[in-house]
Amino acid sequence: MEEQEILTTLKILIIGESGVGKSSLLLRFTDDTFDPEQAATIGVDFKVKTLSVDGNKAKLAIWDTAGQERFRTLTPSYYRGAQGVILVYDVSSKQSFTKLDAWLSELETFATKHDMIKMLVGNKIDKEKREVSKEEGLKFARKHHMLFIEASAKTKEGVQCAFEELVEKIIQTPGLWETSGHSLRLDAEGGQASSNCYCVV
Amino acid sequence: MAAEEDGDVFEITDFTTASEWERFIARLEEVLHEWKLANRDPLPNVPKGKFTEGPWEEKNEEILFADFKFLINYTRLKPSASAEAESRSSREREDADDEQQDEHKPPTITNDIISMDNDFPSRAHCLCRWYGLQEFLVIQPAPNFGVIDSESRAKILESSAAIALSDSGCHVPVFIQLQQKWRKLYTGVAIVPGANISFEMSHLKKLPSKYLHLDGLLNMFKGKLGCEYVSMPPVSVSVRFTYILEDWIHCPWPQMPPDFFSFSEGEVGCSELDVLPFGACEDPVSELHLSCTWPYLSADMIVETSGYTDLDPLQAPQWSVRIQMTEDPQCLLGQLLRAFMELCTRTETTDEILGRLATEGTDPSEKDGGEDITNALQRLTEPNLPYHIPSLGSVVSRASSKLKIKPEEAPIPPNSLNKILQHLFPDATGLGGSQSQKGKGQNSKTRDSTPVEESPPHGSPERVEEVFNEALKQLRSAPPDSLTYRLAVCMAIINLNHGGLRAVAHLWQEFILEMRYRWENNILIPDLGASASNKPSSSSSTTSSSPSAPSASVPAPNLGSCLLHQKLQMLNCCIERKVKRESAGYGHEDTVLHEASSGVFESDTSTSQPDNDAVGGGTAARKVASVNGSTTDDEDDEFFECDDGDSDEVSEAGGKGGQRRISGDSTSPRRPGSGKKNLISEKSIDSYMSDSSFKDAALMKAEGRLAPMKNMRSLSTNEPLFIPVTQEPSPMTEDMLEEQAEVLAKLGSSAEGSQLRARMQSACLLSDMESFKAANPGCCLGDFVRWYSPRDFIEEEEEDGEEKEEEERNEKNISRQCSRTEEEDGRNSASEEASGERPEDSEKDANCEAKIDSPKAADGKKSPASEEIPPQATAKASSSETSSDQDHVSSHCRPQRGHLSQRMQIPGNMWVEVWQSARHIPARRQKRLFDDTKEAEKVLHFLSGLRPSELVLHLLPMVIHASVLKLAEKEDPDVPVLKTLTDQVISKAVKVTRWPHPPEVKRYEDVIRMIELAETVSSRSKSLKTKFTRDLLEKGKAEEELHNFVSSLLQQPEVDVRGGAYGPAGSAIHKLFSAAQKAALMILEDEESTGEDAAAQPEQMKPASTVHDFPSPSAREYILRALIPRPAPYSRVLPQRMYCVLVDGDYRLAGAFCSDTTFQ
Repeated sequence: MEEQEILTTLKILIIGESGVGKSSLLLRFTDDTFDPEQAATIGVDFKVKTLSVDGNKAKLAIWDTAGQERFRTLTPSYYRGAQGVILVYDVSSKQSFTKLDAWLSELETFATKHDMIKMLVGNKIDKEKREVSKEEGLKFARKHHMLFIEASAKTKEGVQCAFEELVEKIIQTPGLWETSGHSLRLDAEGGQASSNCYCVV
Repeated sequence: MAAEEDGDVFEITDFTTASEWERFIARLEEVLHEWKLANRDPLPNVPKGKFTEGPWEEKNEEILFADFKFLINYTRLKPSASAEAESRSSREREDADDEQQDEHKPPTITNDIISMDNDFPSRAHCLCRWYGLQEFLVIQPAPNFGVIDSESRAKILESSAAIALSDSGCHVPVFIQLQQKWRKLYTGVAIVPGANISFEMSHLKKLPSKYLHLDGLLNMFKGKLGCEYVSMPPVSVSVRFTYILEDWIHCPWPQMPPDFFSFSEGEVGCSELDVLPFGACEDPVSELHLSCTWPYLSADMIVETSGYTDLDPLQAPQWSVRIQMTEDPQCLLGQLLRAFMELCTRTETTDEILGRLATEGTDPSEKDGGEDITNALQRLTEPNLPYHIPSLGSVVSRASSKLKIKPEEAPIPPNSLNKILQHLFPDATGLGGSQSQKGKGQNSKTRDSTPVEESPPHGSPERVEEVFNEALKQLRSAPPDSLTYRLAVCMAIINLNHGGLRAVAHLWQEFILEMRYRWENNILIPDLGASASNKPSSSSSTTSSSPSAPSASVPAPNLGSCLLHQKLQMLNCCIERKVKRESAGYGHEDTVLHEASSGVFESDTSTSQPDNDAVGGGTAARKVASVNGSTTDDEDDEFFECDDGDSDEVSEAGGKGGQRRISGDSTSPRRPGSGKKNLISEKSIDSYMSDSSFKDAALMKAEGRLAPMKNMRSLSTNEPLFIPVTQEPSPMTEDMLEEQAEVLAKLGSSAEGSQLRARMQSACLLSDMESFKAANPGCCLGDFVRWYSPRDFIEEEEEDGEEKEEEERNEKNISRQCSRTEEEDGRNSASEEASGERPEDSEKDANCEAKIDSPKAADGKKSPASEEIPPQATAKASSSETSSDQDHVSSHCRPQRGHLSQRMQIPGNMWVEVWQSARHIPARRQKRLFDDTKEAEKVLHFLSGLRPSELVLHLLPMVIHASVLKLAEKEDPDVPVLKTLTDQVISKAVKVTRWPHPPEVKRYEDVIRMIELAETVSSRSKSLKTKFTRDLLEKGKAEEELHNFVSSLLQQPEVDVRGGAYGPAGSAIHKLFSAAQKAALMILEDEESTGEDAAAQPEQMKPASTVHDFPSPSAREYILRALIPRPAPYSRVLPQRMYCVLVDGDYRLAGAFCSDTTFQ
């Protein structure tokens, strides 16, 4: 598997209100660590990880953005060319959920690929105090044709699954990404690898 | 041939006796079996009209005859599903029946030959057309294997086929293709039980005149069948005459070719420059073919000889029409696009094209001086032209004076150039050199000529609008009312009509000059549109307490538009910043002077009101204020203008808000001063709160305030917080962004990389922090965070014990001092009235008033309490105190208890670090985050570095965009194909324009081809409409009928005319023909003396009354059919058929003759 050639490089973007745990999600995914003292992102940050989905190896260039409104004048520039976007809210913060509409409209304005895959992630499900129910999240995702998953960067739950699902969906969408000359392997050897995800389209 | 091949014994491996010929036959049989054609049941009859519609199926195989390769091809009409089922069921039925019965069922071929259902199909294989066959085999030489041109070879093949057919029991006819392919000459054979059918054909340039009519053909048919002498059974005849209409007398093609000269004559306005041409130069519909068909006639009933005919087209029972389109009508839009795209292949630079004349013109450094005669354009100007003329006026006049010097050098004549530039820059019209316009180019936007086309749109307005919006949203080009768009359309038109590449280069040169001129003279570029990027930021800015970019009058580059548009927008941003910067610079000097003399707080025009209110009242306040003001000014001067160590120290002190030494020094003399005041100014009261904050307030005069934050007070000073004026974010074009992203990505994904990235991007944060500090002297990071990242400030709901105690204490204090508060309230309001400078927002005032009191109430206790506490803690403590006070005093104040989020408290994190290094500098005195000079130069460099070919690539998106809009506008709602085509063009164009990175010419080619197609179809429909709608109708009701007829003409190869000659469409066609005929005859009459020969065409039919309305048919087809015993009178009666087509210079007779093999 390691020697396998990389099928494509995908650009993925993480957006959402400040403090919902975007950087933590990313860190959990790339380094499998969690730092409760994760510093607030300034501008944008960037991580790379290769991921294998259904035997197709994809290199992910993940751009983590700052959620502060003031930074929003800068970050949209990084929306360009992204094939997938992860929109994060904090299940323990209603406000972070209500702001999703604004984020979506921003996405609409700045994204260059209109068929980009959007995923909604409700983070921090480890928290006791919940302000956004899973049903609300599901409803929102259905309304806007997004993938949906709840996750916790702290407990690791759902994080890997979220990224895998997103990448799989991107690879299955024709015209969204370009091969670097290799043909796509769609032999359904695994189907869905880890299948206790509850993703909804 | 076979005999020769016999010698090759060595090659034979399997069956030594077999010759090449036998092997060929064997292989043929094999193929027949493979394709399951052997011993097969007959196919059902073909339903009417199926030949044209039905899908045809083909099979191909290669066959070798010695070393000569043949292709064998089987073509058949795919049976419809129901027919197939029927045949299957019938087969099952017959399986049970006697073998004998099967014999009697006529084979497919004999049915086909006599069937009259499918005569003259409009589109079918020629063999099908001639013989009415639904299946046949064709053997033809493989490509590059020569042609079969000798009779003997043809015969060998034919007899081989016959053997194979009879051996395998296959009833499908086999044709051998003879001679060159284009002659479509075949000979064929079919073997059916008890009979042979031979297919014979002759293809001639000339036919003896006696055979040119039905009469002669009938005789030939009978002769061929060898039964002239027998009493002939009736021969049935199908006839079809085709008349061609070439002259559309009443409706010449309405499209005028573009007038190439009007423009240079200067009579046509600007509209010419933004309207793309559309339509075909020549009539896209060249001919109308009217086919008159008599399907079932008995040969005995009609007479057609050279002298007389019964076949009057008006009496024909069936009329059908097909339209012959012009092969490649010169479509104007397509031509324009092609010509424009052609430029992409040119490699010359602008300089090379314009010659040495322009080489120095691109050097930016020489543009400044009008006297500099090395500059290309200025060299061409009148040297004594006053330089102060701003804007376009000068450029235009400079350009126009070109003519005086070297008229032959200018690709665009000066008059035209003037017009073009005025069209591109409508804000410059009528400037003529008036200085008043200087610096307010944007205001002087007087655009009388909107680029909206004047011609009434063809398509429905809703559709046009739909396409307009769709294109605007999806295409990466530029809005249709933008300068970029106008430039692109103009360039394309100029390229086509006014001088090609050189003109394009010339105009581009002028354009760049204008850009530079505007940059240098601070004139905004007009019509660069509103940016889409403004939308969300403006919507988010409604939450007033959060930071957001001040809405700029000039939009930042819209990343949804094409690069060129972005670049121009960028340049405009630079100009705007430059204007602001320069005016702000002067403004600042003024205010400083003013402050120094008057001593009133007016440091910044945008500074908010409360300061002034507090001060407005009596002389003492003014005095204090003046002291404060002057100190601040001094500080400022030292601080900002001499950036030395001292000021740094001060700034740090301010930043940390807790350096005792300085604050002690500076505050002690002031306190008594403020205490003496009768009027309680907000500031002075606050200064009691804590020494450190007082110090800050005293040292740092608030600067660069934009607006007060709603219900927010500083945690450290308890002063109302203000949103600072911040530096606007740097506008970026997509290439800059890409570059930046690349740099950031290169740092890798390590922790150090992240750190470095954050540091690189912290410039904006630092600038904002500095602005915030300047606007809110003595503030702390918590204040900043509450503005900048509200979620990082945790408001406490459950207080810990210590805080509770504190609160209780406060509560006691407050209750004790309630009465005092009321008193002071009264006094306060009095003073406010006196000041007379109330801010508009009364609610805010109420808050302020309420707040003003609380710190005072607590002041005795608080000043010592805050001593020796680190800044963070101070902030916390004071916040909890003040907020608890406010909770009681003013219920609608936002609770300000709380602490920074965990992540903001990490020691040494970026935010704290940057906060600590941030100094008190208002935005306007900070180092510019955005270097407009540098960026403008970069843009100008980019523009002037473009070769015309590259420029064209950058302009193509807009030109395509314009074409799409044109298509939509011309779209005919009656022709659904057009809508589909337009939609296809759009989706293709979207893909092409959104293609990342270097645009490719090839991709545009496809789009342009599609646009051409749509244009052609559109022109055709237009042409047909003009031909058929015009008062050719007698009955008003029939309009719809004609309408349908026209639209079906566009979509079907052949259209039946309902009601024949007497239907509405038929009568219209009749009129067209008779008009054309009259015109033609008139000419003939005129030239009667000389034109005898021309008139002596063989078939000038005179007698019939209506014959004159139609020309002689250009093609006549006859199908003769009979059931005749052959070869002997006692043979079985078998079907015979002969097809004849008589076209001048191309006569073809194709006969299928059956002969009985049993009773010979």
